Amino acid sequence: MAEDEEGLTWTELSGHSSGMPADKNISSSVTRVIVKTAGKQEDFMIADDTSVRQFKEKLSTHFKCQMDQLVLVFMGRLLKDHDTLSQRGILDGHTIHLVIKSKRSSRSLAHSSRNLSTKEPCHQVRNTEGNTNGVYQPAGVSHTPLESALLVEPDAPKVHSQDLEVSGPEYIAQMLQNPSIQQLLSNTDLVRQFISEHPDMQQLMQQSPEVSYILDNSDILWQTLELARNLAMIQEIMQIQQPEQILEHPLNPQSHLGLETLPGGDNALGQSYVDCNDQMLNSSQDLFGGNPFPALLEGQVLQQLQSSPPSPPPPQERQDQLPQLPTTRVIYTSSHGLSSITSASVTPNKVNHTPSTHTTTISTKGPSPTCPIQQPARVPALPSIELTQQPQTEDIDATISLDSSDQKLEDDLQPSDEQTKSQITGSMMQLLLNNPYLAAQMMLFISMPQLSEQYRQQLPTFLQQTQLSDMLIALANPKASQAILQIEQGLQLLATEAPVLLPWVAPYLWGLGWLPAPSCSHPDTVPWAWDVPDIAEPKGPECCHKSGTGLQSLQSLAGDPSHLLQAPEIRFSQQMESLQAMGFGNHHANLQALIATEGDTSAAIRKLKRSHGF
Amino acid sequence: MEPPNLYPVKLYVYDLSKGLARRLSPIMLGKQLEGIWHTSIVVHKDEFYFGSGGISSCPPGGTLLGPPDSVVDVGSTEVTEELFQEYLSSLGESLFRREAYNIFENNCNTFTNEVAQFLTGRKIPSYITDLPSEILSTKCKQSMKVQR
Repeated sequence: MAEDEEGLTWTELSGHSSGMPADKNISSSVTRVIVKTAGKQEDFMIADDTSVRQFKEKLSTHFKCQMDQLVLVFMGRLLKDHDTLSQRGILDGHTIHLVIKSKRSSRSLAHSSRNLSTKEPCHQVRNTEGNTNGVYQPAGVSHTPLESALLVEPDAPKVHSQDLEVSGPEYIAQMLQNPSIQQLLSNTDLVRQFISEHPDMQQLMQQSPEVSYILDNSDILWQTLELARNLAMIQEIMQIQQPEQILEHPLNPQSHLGLETLPGGDNALGQSYVDCNDQMLNSSQDLFGGNPFPALLEGQVLQQLQSSPPSPPPPQERQDQLPQLPTTRVIYTSSHGLSSITSASVTPNKVNHTPSTHTTTISTKGPSPTCPIQQPARVPALPSIELTQQPQTEDIDATISLDSSDQKLEDDLQPSDEQTKSQITGSMMQLLLNNPYLAAQMMLFISMPQLSEQYRQQLPTFLQQTQLSDMLIALANPKASQAILQIEQGLQLLATEAPVLLPWVAPYLWGLGWLPAPSCSHPDTVPWAWDVPDIAEPKGPECCHKSGTGLQSLQSLAGDPSHLLQAPEIRFSQQMESLQAMGFGNHHANLQALIATEGDTSAAIRKLKRSHGF
Repeated sequence: MEPPNLYPVKLYVYDLSKGLARRLSPIMLGKQLEGIWHTSIVVHKDEFYFGSGGISSCPPGGTLLGPPDSVVDVGSTEVTEELFQEYLSSLGESLFRREAYNIFENNCNTFTNEVAQFLTGRKIPSYITDLPSEILSTKCKQSMKVQR
């Protein structure tokens, strides 16, 4: 075995040194010690009276290292060179631990930092080593005082003029932690001098004199240093540069709101907001082709199964129609054949944005020419806008169409009516919450400086109140939105193919489409998919944000098909009579108008008038 | 000659099962185990341990396990912090590399045992180091039963 041979070798050596006969392998003064190092161990046979120093010599040749790299530990005690093994109680079979220090660790750490500062030759270090450590000497070249101040390591400063490849990051970090270094860095004069005398910096300063100005400003230097130390600040600044990331977290208004609190952050934010605002405005205008509702109202058809092409609204009309928007109610279905558009004088528009947030869906609904949105939004995240039926008069959720909201926003956003204003806000919030992407756009859009305060205040409370988190999560799921889309398409198909089956699926149709008034009414036999009857939601002007969740409001919508299933003729018999008395002879048209306006006679009248071109 | 600095060395012992092993081991293994022990060495105001991430250190009691279930005084050492770091790095490159972790053969307690011997010459209590063999013996018995 190699160990035995080695043991013999050691014995020979020790025998020579101590005068023992070489052929005696085992003697009372020779001990076998185990030397453990770095996960391996080896046996050594040495004489008892071997001094530690001699042992180290042997070990150094064995392990091929220098003696001063060796550290022997026995029972937790460091073995000094002048001891003997027996003095330390090292007996046969004991284990001595050996640590072979790496070469670079035997040098002072200060020298490792030299790579950072200068490329001065090492002898300077030695020269300045005699200087008082830690004292900043303003005289002389900037390098030397820096170096002398660096030599504050408590370890024995062995000066090695060897390689300085030790400027690894850990050494830099260690150096930075040194309080004397920090004291140095706090001295802006020194830092400035230090930086400016670096050849690269001088080159840079020649190229751009602004840099020298920066360096002259001690405040900037100080702030830069502070900034560099504070990683959090850097991260925030990075966020400023990437406002688009904010879009990913639309429902976290604090994320970008916090940026505004940063000093100077507002400037960067403001620019990005302006850019996004412009983009938003342009896209939304294109999206709606201006005000869609007058177009719809102009070219609309009262009958169910007709559709009329919208006439592009002239701008004047748009302006004219603008004041009516809060009171205009548009009922629209996405189906091909089931579009009927009415207007009511009371309720604002309700726009339920379906969760299908892709503009492609807009174009798929293109065949229905009454679709107000024909042009895919430039902003790809804007969803397809579907105006859904408002079967209830009372269900004034105060949701304004996006377009009207946009226009209000862009038109100085100072609606005269205070209540409408709050309604608009509420409705917009509702709208935004239904569509995360849209909310993101609107967030930036809204956060124009003059509005930021107002909406910022309203946002958290509204978000709390609506508590739409569950629904949002569900709606944000693209597959869910696609599923709802498919449901709607299926229902449309059913409506065209077999309208008689519609009552059976009426519960499913809440909020999704406009049901033609079925003559048959089976309120009891129709399978209810939803617990509609159980939900007695307060209807009326309580907006969504007042009554609770949007889901509840939608569910309350679902309660209405029950009314529909009752013969509308019976429901609206009174209104029908009044309409007849006024001279509207078309019984069927009257009925349709009344159905559309939920028995609102005046709204029905208006609707009928428009259809007849008055 | 100035007296050398002596640094206390402590062994932090954690029961990973939080008492469940004591209760369930007779049923599950057929023999009584007092705990599933995880240990670490505390010296120079730092806690050192070996895990799947290699040799790590943290402030004493700063692991996810929280405060130790028991503390064993291992002794004291003259080994300075710098020397100890050297030693740990050499261990980390040889015996206790990250991938060298073996739950039975080369685990945290193995590491602690090594380090304790280096620092003080003493080993850690045997009930800790004997745990893998105890578990393995029961498993062998069980597997043998299954084979029959």
